[in-house]
Amino acid sequence: MRISMCSIVFDLLISLGYMMIFKKCGIKLFWAFIPFAREYQISRCSERENDGLVYAFFGGVEMLMDILFSFLSDYSYLVAFLSIPYLAFVIGRIVYAIRIYTGLAEVFGRSKKWAFLFIFAESVAALVWGFSKSFQPVKELNLYDKEGAKVFGGEVKAEDEGLSVNITERTATAFFKKKTLLKDIHMNIPKGHMVLLLGGSGAGKTTYVNAVTGYEKANAKVLLNGKNIYTEYSRMLFDIGFVPQQDLMRGTDTVKLTLSDAASLRLPSGVPKKERKERIEAVLEEFGLRAIENSLVDKLSGGQRKRLSIAMEYISDPSLFILDEPDSGLDGVVARGLFEKLRAIADEGKIVIVITHTPDRVIDLFDDVIVLAKDASRTGRLAWYGPVDESYKFFGKDSMEEILLSINQKEEGGEGKADEFVEKYADYMQEKVG
Amino acid sequence: MGETNTGTSSNLRQGHIGHVSQTLIYLGKLFRMFIFQNDWKVLPMSAVIAGLVSFTVGKNLFVSMEGTGTAAFAYACICVWNGFFNSIQSVCRERPIVKREHRSGLHISSYIVAHMIYQAFLCALQAGIIILVCYFMKVKLPQDALVVRNATIEFGITLFLITYCSDMLALLVSTIAKTTTAAMTIMPFLLIVQLLFSGAFFSLPEKVMPFTNLTTTKWGLTAICAEGDYNSLPMVSLWNSAYKLKHIKMEGDTEPFAIVFDYIEEHDLRDEILLKSAELNQNENYKHDALVVYKCWAMLIAWTLIYVGASTLILEFIDKDRR
Repeated sequence: MRISMCSIVFDLLISLGYMMIFKKCGIKLFWAFIPFAREYQISRCSERENDGLVYAFFGGVEMLMDILFSFLSDYSYLVAFLSIPYLAFVIGRIVYAIRIYTGLAEVFGRSKKWAFLFIFAESVAALVWGFSKSFQPVKELNLYDKEGAKVFGGEVKAEDEGLSVNITERTATAFFKKKTLLKDIHMNIPKGHMVLLLGGSGAGKTTYVNAVTGYEKANAKVLLNGKNIYTEYSRMLFDIGFVPQQDLMRGTDTVKLTLSDAASLRLPSGVPKKERKERIEAVLEEFGLRAIENSLVDKLSGGQRKRLSIAMEYISDPSLFILDEPDSGLDGVVARGLFEKLRAIADEGKIVIVITHTPDRVIDLFDDVIVLAKDASRTGRLAWYGPVDESYKFFGKDSMEEILLSINQKEEGGEGKADEFVEKYADYMQEKVG
Repeated sequence: MGETNTGTSSNLRQGHIGHVSQTLIYLGKLFRMFIFQNDWKVLPMSAVIAGLVSFTVGKNLFVSMEGTGTAAFAYACICVWNGFFNSIQSVCRERPIVKREHRSGLHISSYIVAHMIYQAFLCALQAGIIILVCYFMKVKLPQDALVVRNATIEFGITLFLITYCSDMLALLVSTIAKTTTAAMTIMPFLLIVQLLFSGAFFSLPEKVMPFTNLTTTKWGLTAICAEGDYNSLPMVSLWNSAYKLKHIKMEGDTEPFAIVFDYIEEHDLRDEILLKSAELNQNENYKHDALVVYKCWAMLIAWTLIYVGASTLILEFIDKDRR
């Protein structure tokens, strides 16, 4: 009983300390008195929310097992077997606690060694951090969702040809929490256009691409040449080419074999063998891979690999072609050559969308630019879609890099004008569409 | 450029190649890896391990009860080891590629079936290699066939099924693990479970015995012991232990044990005693009966199918991998 009283007193001291820490972080104080929820809230304060959820889960399981053990008082094989996962959960909880307290030390600008005091003398550490005025967060915490920039809310009328995108929102649920990743994105991209997809880190570029290709479905209507990508996904799969950033190919295959297997996978089974062979030969020629057709993929240079990776998707002659940083790791001359090739593909009447972090060296090759920005609610929003020249006027800048800088958040070194441009673009769309 | 892209996008958008064609494509890739990516090395490796085991415990296989128990366990372990190494990295090492190909229309079932066929080829070769090594090292092999006509082929089928079952378990781990490092971390843990819960080599508490049904080693070594007629083999451990007492003197210079042993040897009773001793230690599970072998094979096949099913199911979720 004395031990129980002791633990209650210690727990109260911890709660008091946590209550004061919560006050500094802007978290509701009553959470300090609820076990496990208290640690979860501390994890929010230390910007380690996911770690906090795992910690709370481990703690909850441990507590349930404690209750179970109290019923299984005698030693038995069941107790022995349960002790093993119990031990694993205890170890896991300690590791996650270290992660959380290390994060807290970072947020408060203190030494990470404090994490160990939290582990071994939680009450002392919590009281010191809670009541001492010298312990204050050194950075702004975004614990509660802020209001995002205003939405356009309308829809663009789909054209018979080209790509029509109307994304209302794209949400994802992680650890029982719903998050809006992308919102209010509407555009019509005509055939034959090469489009730059610009956006800072976390602005939703990949989410946008996945939503447009139907790979990760959003609350949206996406039409390619009048056909709904979402409802006819399996049939339209081969009409969309997506080239990932990494060159994901088997190093032990030759160039020709890689293309041949890609053709077998991507071309319809009704295509005669002769036609398939001709297509492979033509693509080898087009992408300048003829001279290295018998080389192993492992032996290729960065530029050659990239061309092969693009050729693998191009083999099925898609109408929509999306490339994620195709120029990463390539020098200026090689990158320019690659983008000229993409321009030629667009000139065939295809839509080419490219994500790149060095757009200015090849901007003359693009028709349009899509600018995605992270608004105050940290949701990916459309800040601009239209011709490249007009985008300079819209943002009042002279280069794509400057535009990117203006929409990036201040903590990322940008000007933090994302919301301003998202709202300006919403007004522009309102005027345009009516 | 214009000439080359005639019509494939507008025509024939439907009806892409089916499961069988995809399986053949991937089978081709796997065999190319066998030749060019050093996957062939698992074959000489299995010969080396089989040689080591045959050298150390092979001479006692199907000669005495204890020797057979130990050696059958060791040979089952070689098969498990071979199976694990064959495919523990096979999926995880190319996971991002599989993810890209799945996005482009790859059927996961075709991919897994290709692995099943390729691994069956590897496992069959490894089982053959073990038997060849046993033959060259003059390890005694089972004489009476229970299920098929040839006892060596029957023994080979058992070795194949043990290897293949373990191989598919490793394939399952390879589909779960996101990296090769993670897969190689899980592997020793699984190996320990296979060794500990074989149900024969380590004496386990009665309550734990049902868990042995989950292991490949239990069904493998049971089949090997049944094929080698374990229960009709002599038991030598009791004799060997007792023989150590032969020259112990009691009540002066008398050696009572020596008198008994001399009598046994004079009357040629040693083998009879060894067989009697074995008779009292027979194991019903290792009965020289076709039904026992059938049951073990059925269990190994059942576990193989479970592992394959789970692998396919898990890999279907590859699109959920974090970017």
